Amino acid sequence: MEKTVVKIDNLVKRYGELVALDHFSLEIKEGEIFGLLGPNGSGKTTTINCLLSLLSFDKGSIEIFGKKMTPVSYDIKKDIGVVMQNVVVSDELTVYENIDYFCGLYITDKKLRKQYVEEAVKFVGLDDFTKFYPKKLSGGLLRRLNIACGIAHKPKLIILDEPTVAVDPQSRNKILEGIQELNKNGVTIIYTSHYMEEVEQICTRIAIMDKGRKVAEGTKDELKRMIKNTETISIEALGLGEDVLAEMRALPHVYDVKYDEKLLVISCSGGKHNLIRALEVLQKRELGFGRVYSELPTLNEVFLEITGKALRDKEE
Amino acid sequence: MQVFKLFMKILKKNIFTSMIYVIVFVAISIPMSRSAASDSNFKDTPMTIAVFDEDDTPESKALVEFIGRKHKLKELENDKDKIMQALYFETVDYVLIINDGYSEKLAGDASDGMFSTYHIHDSYATVMVSQLLDSYVSSVRAYTAGGMDISSAQESAAEAVLTEAEVTVVRSKGTEDFSESTSAHFRYMTYILISVIINALCPVLLKLGKKEFRFRTNCSCMKPITYSVAVFAGSTLFIALLWIALMVVSVIQNGGMFKGYAWFAVLNSFIYTLVCTSIALLICAFEPSDTVVNLMTQIIGLGSSFLCGVFIPQSMLGDGVLAAAKFMPTYWYVKVVEMLSGSEVFDGKRLAAYLLIECGFAAALLLIALVVNRMKYTSTAIRLPKLAPETQE
Repeated sequence: MEKTVVKIDNLVKRYGELVALDHFSLEIKEGEIFGLLGPNGSGKTTTINCLLSLLSFDKGSIEIFGKKMTPVSYDIKKDIGVVMQNVVVSDELTVYENIDYFCGLYITDKKLRKQYVEEAVKFVGLDDFTKFYPKKLSGGLLRRLNIACGIAHKPKLIILDEPTVAVDPQSRNKILEGIQELNKNGVTIIYTSHYMEEVEQICTRIAIMDKGRKVAEGTKDELKRMIKNTETISIEALGLGEDVLAEMRALPHVYDVKYDEKLLVISCSGGKHNLIRALEVLQKRELGFGRVYSELPTLNEVFLEITGKALRDKEE
Repeated sequence: MQVFKLFMKILKKNIFTSMIYVIVFVAISIPMSRSAASDSNFKDTPMTIAVFDEDDTPESKALVEFIGRKHKLKELENDKDKIMQALYFETVDYVLIINDGYSEKLAGDASDGMFSTYHIHDSYATVMVSQLLDSYVSSVRAYTAGGMDISSAQESAAEAVLTEAEVTVVRSKGTEDFSESTSAHFRYMTYILISVIINALCPVLLKLGKKEFRFRTNCSCMKPITYSVAVFAGSTLFIALLWIALMVVSVIQNGGMFKGYAWFAVLNSFIYTLVCTSIALLICAFEPSDTVVNLMTQIIGLGSSFLCGVFIPQSMLGDGVLAAAKFMPTYWYVKVVEMLSGSEVFDGKRLAAYLLIECGFAAALLLIALVVNRMKYTSTAIRLPKLAPETQE
């Protein structure tokens, strides 16, 4: 049976009148890459700060590795790695010295630390930049340094708070591959991001937060099944009449049909063989068609349907 | 150890600009202190005087000779433009014309019209030469009135007027151990202490105290007290080394170890160092940018030095300025230095009071810094979670 690494139970955090976390609960199992999604101000960073005991909370409890987490739980903290949303390094230290500094906050043995720092440097691909000062590094390299500082001490749980903000696709790919490699080595990961494709790519389980509450949780497939639109069929066809569109609308599981003289878009909710049924309607009437696509919903669509499309102007 | 090492690395990056203050201070204060030391005895300074004798009598020649015994005589063409030029370029300090009829007027009572002069208005040379001539003429008349002939009277008057009194600076009892050079060193040291401590310490404390950096460190298994102790140790070491270095410079300048009352100055500077540290901590509490820190260094350093009598003796400052300066610790520091250097009569009780006032400033500033920090972190402070009863199970 998989062990529970993080257990958040009924957490409430208020900032005066504002409820940042509203009876929020979560369980993360060992070996998972757990994605925490939510719009700005949904409570992701507050959750992480409470998890790390950087913030007090008003109600609820947090357990990590089966033990209650408090600001003085140093035995728990030694097994947690943190990669903050903002790059937190010292401009006065070189790349190597920065990693050594943060690793030294956990590992006092010099020999072991040296080995860990060298491994971290290699892991994030900063071998050629060890003597560089952070100011000389590009955005992508800085992010990689930030990650190296957070993982050098070989933690069992790593919390990554939007680690790929403002980095180029190559650096992002390197970072994501690194995270997956860490996970393969048995590390449990909590990952927050605004990039849905990243979360979809690496996370084994996802929770979506909004207004301090958990509004959905599950694997990406489970989440996709939660929303109305489960399949979008697109067919290139010319000169379709209103009678054809009416027949399409009458097909089982079809809840929306749109046509713009060239492209027919059919939205389906559940069911199987939706594409075959749609094509049969066209064949029966001997109507020609071009390219045909059948797409499952993306995580982005799931996210927008669950959290709504209204703009969030409140920053976390 | 990690935090202490980081403290030192950040300090190392910031120390260079601060060390410029110390280097300039040492470079300027040593010669200044030496000149202060050589000023303990007074000596007449000869001036350059051009004399035109239009009377051309034995009396006028005796006067020229008399002036020549005290000052340097310079040949000058009797042309108004050239005289004005010489005064402008300060090749002569004073131009004296002994008018025709001087000898008759000397024998009589009238002094008007004896001399014509060219001089710079209100210059010290004008005052001194006028006084010299008045003294000479009065003395000659006094001797002739006493029955001497004019030649002997002129000789005696010259002797009398040229007699030099030996002048020595009288110092209060006990302050002999606190030389002028030591006094100057301790006086100017205030500017260096305040500038270097703010300029070097604030950037380090600001970087290490940055919210994100503290948060990141608090995520680790390092106890906050360990972090604070490391920062405290680094700060203490830096401040102690700076203070010791300035004391060593003072010992070198002094030509030997401190003696007697000079130890009060050492204690005074130590307390003032604590005051400067409190000021630096208070500045850090407001999290200013590097530019603001630099600005504060100049404003506090120069402002307090000028207002409190570091560069100008307190006796020369106006009452209003001194009344305002009393609200600054530097004023009380300088009071101690002035008392030890003999400008104020030494009084142990008053000295203790001055030192206590400085300690009060240090404590008050530190307290304000702590309160500001406390207020700042109230919303984000790391506190044990206050769990509601139903969730404690």
